[in-house]
Amino acid sequence: MRRQRAPSEIGKLIAPLYKLIDGAWQRMHWWVATMAVLYLLSGITIVRADEVAVVLRWGRLVGDTPALQEHGAGLLFAFPRPIDQVVRVQTKRVREVVISTLAPDASATEPASEEEEEENAPQQSGATLDPLTQGYAITGDHNIVQLSMVARYRVRDAGEWSFYGPTAENVLRAEVTAAMVRSLGEMGVDRVLSDGRKELIALAARRAQIGLDASHSGLELSSVELTALSPPLALASDFSAVQSAFISAETKKKEAQEFAERDVPAASAQADAAVQDARASVAADLANATGEAEAFKALEREYRANTAVVRERLYRDAIERAISTSNVRWVPPPVGGSYHGLRITLGAPGSKVSPSEPGGDRP
Amino acid sequence: MGGSMNLQRWLRAVMGTLALLAIVFSATGIVVREGTAVLVTRFGHPLRATTSPGLHWKLPWPIDQAVLLDMRRRVYETGQTEMLTRDKKNVIARTFVVWRIGDPLTFTQAVGAQSAAEGKLDGLLTNAAIGTLGGHDLSALVSTNPEDLQVDQIESELLASTAPMALKNYGVTVEQVRVERLALPEDNVTAVFEQMRAERRQFAAKFQAEGDLAASRIRSEAELAAARIRAKGAEEQARIRGEGAAQVAKTYADAHRLDPELYRFTRSLESLDKLVTGNTALILRTDAEPFSLLQNKERR
Repeated sequence: MRRQRAPSEIGKLIAPLYKLIDGAWQRMHWWVATMAVLYLLSGITIVRADEVAVVLRWGRLVGDTPALQEHGAGLLFAFPRPIDQVVRVQTKRVREVVISTLAPDASATEPASEEEEEENAPQQSGATLDPLTQGYAITGDHNIVQLSMVARYRVRDAGEWSFYGPTAENVLRAEVTAAMVRSLGEMGVDRVLSDGRKELIALAARRAQIGLDASHSGLELSSVELTALSPPLALASDFSAVQSAFISAETKKKEAQEFAERDVPAASAQADAAVQDARASVAADLANATGEAEAFKALEREYRANTAVVRERLYRDAIERAISTSNVRWVPPPVGGSYHGLRITLGAPGSKVSPSEPGGDRP
Repeated sequence: MGGSMNLQRWLRAVMGTLALLAIVFSATGIVVREGTAVLVTRFGHPLRATTSPGLHWKLPWPIDQAVLLDMRRRVYETGQTEMLTRDKKNVIARTFVVWRIGDPLTFTQAVGAQSAAEGKLDGLLTNAAIGTLGGHDLSALVSTNPEDLQVDQIESELLASTAPMALKNYGVTVEQVRVERLALPEDNVTAVFEQMRAERRQFAAKFQAEGDLAASRIRSEAELAAARIRAKGAEEQARIRGEGAAQVAKTYADAHRLDPELYRFTRSLESLDKLVTGNTALILRTDAEPFSLLQNKERR
């Protein structure tokens, strides 16, 4: 038979605590059991359709590659904490960051005091730009442009993004701004503002993605959009003047082309008309000549047959026509074979001359 | 009854053991997560830094203490600093760095906090930028000539001149240094504005002149083409008329060749018809035909 030892000092001290736990156990053991079961099941996680989940076991990522690390939508069975920790990341959702570091209102400042407003007056008037408060970039030909951007991105590598990458918005703002400043620094302002815009965006996006990869951000840049790109406000009228000059020059060219398109066909029409007119005239002349030739041939046949009669008739017909048409002044035959002091008065051209009296004008 | 008592005792023992293990684990276990590190100190003296994720152990408090460090990368944008390039041009540059804690022990001892680390990095980067950009022309940063651009080289130089010092002195690993922004002092901006205005005026004049030239050229070419077409038309017209006249002449000649004397006679009569008009005055003697018929009965 074992001899029962006397309770030690520690035993005396913990006896009330033991009684308390024992009492609690008596009353709450089912609750404790339920909580234990719930704890054991707490590692089971539902991963939604737009998410992937990664599992940390004792803090270490489970899986060697991103493909093995990431679990898609559905139920994920994991151990309860602190053994496993499930981290869910929305990888399919595209987020966006507004980047205004190169925009006219680059810094969101507190309301300015009166003194500050006076100091800022030249900048507001557009005479200059304060690099601390107004964003802009320098182009390759040392001009200045201002722009606003929106960068859209999504999480590509959930592990890197969750545990190693910098804050998404910070790294995006810095990388996209740096990439855009560098890309603008390679291009001339006219190219940037006209046909080089797409190339600029593509170049900046490519560079920004390289930077995001180098910083292990786990992000993928979906797009970079320029919401505004213009020269500084102070130069807007000068750029508009160039645009107006360009439009004016194009208008002049179009007017000249219109003139050419009208004048050349008109000349062709005139030339055609002249040719047709000549052809018509020649045809008429030829028809007339043919007719007259035929008439002459007929006359010649008659003339050959009755030369004297035909000749006399023709002659007399002609004389009659001449006398009936003209103003005829009849004068008596001269006395002694010649006229002496004969005076004839003719009327004005076209006026009918009254029949003269033979010898009336003779003195 | 006895079995139930045994089960309860067994359960109590299990629960008590688990509770004890949990207490021991919380006092001695360190779960180092991905992206974090733990610095273990013994009575305040740094003992070791644990950077590999997983389960690690330490002695319970107050002997050992674990200090958790966030090893994620961070982005820090420096202030804007005015500096002089090699070609004596003032430029305001801002850079950003991507950094992380590289040596937890040194970082904890030399820096202690993120904001303090960034303050120290700012100084390092500003010095590096002044030194590096002073060795390059402005065209190394902005130029339309690709051969002039040396941005990659400048950023590599900035990284090389900051990273070793940052790691050695502050336990900070600098992974990237990038030129984030370039600007000009306000006075220079005014000059650039004037230059841009002059350039715009030049472009406007050029467009006007080119427009005038092109329009004039188009008009001249059109006028020349039209003149050529008209001339060709006139030539064709003349040729047709000439050929027609020749044909007419041949027609007349063929007919008149039958009796040239008759032709001359009829032609004289036609001429008489044409020449004697209402304005022609004829002076005839009364003894000439046909008036003579009235006087001379014998000729009747």
